[in-house]
Amino acid sequence: MSIAAINEQLLRAIGVGVALVDIRTGSIRYANDTFGEWFGPMEGGEKLPELIAGPGIFEAVKTLDTADTFTTEVSFKRRRRSMTVAIEGNRALDQAEDLAVLVCQNISRIKELESMIDSYAMMVERNTHEIRREKEHVEKLLLNMMPRTAYEEYKSFGVVAPRLFSDVTVLTLSFSNFETIVAEHDPAVIVSELNDVYTAFDRIGEQFGCERVRTTGDSYFAVSGVPDPVLDHAGSVANAALRFLRYIEQRNTSHPISWVATIGVASGTVIGSVVGVQKYIYDVFGPAVSAADLVRASARDMQAVVHPSTAGQLDERFAVEASGASEGYGILHEVGTVSDAAR
Amino acid sequence: MSTKTPYEKYGGFSTVSRIVMRLYDKLLDDDDVGPFFDDVDMPSLIDHQTKFVSSLMGGPASFSDTHIANAHKGMAIYDAHFDRLKELIQETLDEFSVDQADTDIVLGAFEARRGLLVIR
Repeated sequence: MSIAAINEQLLRAIGVGVALVDIRTGSIRYANDTFGEWFGPMEGGEKLPELIAGPGIFEAVKTLDTADTFTTEVSFKRRRRSMTVAIEGNRALDQAEDLAVLVCQNISRIKELESMIDSYAMMVERNTHEIRREKEHVEKLLLNMMPRTAYEEYKSFGVVAPRLFSDVTVLTLSFSNFETIVAEHDPAVIVSELNDVYTAFDRIGEQFGCERVRTTGDSYFAVSGVPDPVLDHAGSVANAALRFLRYIEQRNTSHPISWVATIGVASGTVIGSVVGVQKYIYDVFGPAVSAADLVRASARDMQAVVHPSTAGQLDERFAVEASGASEGYGILHEVGTVSDAAR
Repeated sequence: MSTKTPYEKYGGFSTVSRIVMRLYDKLLDDDDVGPFFDDVDMPSLIDHQTKFVSSLMGGPASFSDTHIANAHKGMAIYDAHFDRLKELIQETLDEFSVDQADTDIVLGAFEARRGLLVIR
């Protein structure tokens, strides 16, 4: 077999479509088997525009009159399958004739894979979006259970190291008539009322720089100075305590359930930490919390009683009236409203 | 402990993508179900197949039943077509050496939606 014959055999057999086209007339002078397979069998005399209906393929070939090369893509359907063929055209080296060499590669698979990646990327993006939304939801829930700094620590290390806070003021509030209310009203009504009252407390607390730690049924527990230090933590809590009482008084005049609260306030040291492994909660406990509970026990209805640890830190906006319950315990008033609060 | 979905077990998207392409070839070459795709353009068909295989294998993005029903509305799909598609899925998964138990899960999920596609 001659070299020329071997070359022709090779040209026929390769998986690349090859054709020689007359640049002026578009007549196909030669096409290998692969080209014929894609664009129709060659019987001689075929013209390029009749074979390939792609956008301006013959126009592209004609540019070889001046240019050396061009590339283009054509898409068509072959037995319900979308085929895309990339065509590269070069001017033939033979200067005697104006001929173009078309080299065609089947890039359908690449196009199909591109489509699949697009489709998959969209699914992944949507999933990522959903996951992000879930994450925000979880974060919001966790931030309801612990301060942001504790949450950040928990997120990074999986634990929250207990911290000692030495300059804080604690407020504990309890409803002295809670048992009567529970016995006399529908649970749904009680929960909805508590929801209202505690939400209002949260708002008042936020205004004065103290944050709720937890509620347990009839008691509300807030602190100022945890986890971020608050300069006037005693004043913050005293303000909040008096406004809690005022809010309840006002609310009672227009609602069927009359709430009666007692408040204890004390300053000192507490420990803040996440407690629990499976069902964790950010908790605050320590001497100041025990002291606040202790003074609250001595409070009469609708009184806020302060421990000496707090009383010593209050400025002239507040007056502390000796309670007589225990040495140093004082009933908290706001200056100018002593007579009101002492009713 | 959570059990792995076939999607995770067989290598995630890297395997699913091959299964998608194989099934795509089989569907188009098949004389019974192929004609349903005569007028569908390639990107939509691939998109459909990717989501279809991925969700059957327990991967991301699942079709809602309403979506499936709408996508096949007005198509003259009969039990024979549905059965043929099941055969093609079985053949394809066999080629990728998917355990028969997992193939059964996939086919079960597919069978559960027969009513959404087939004309009664």
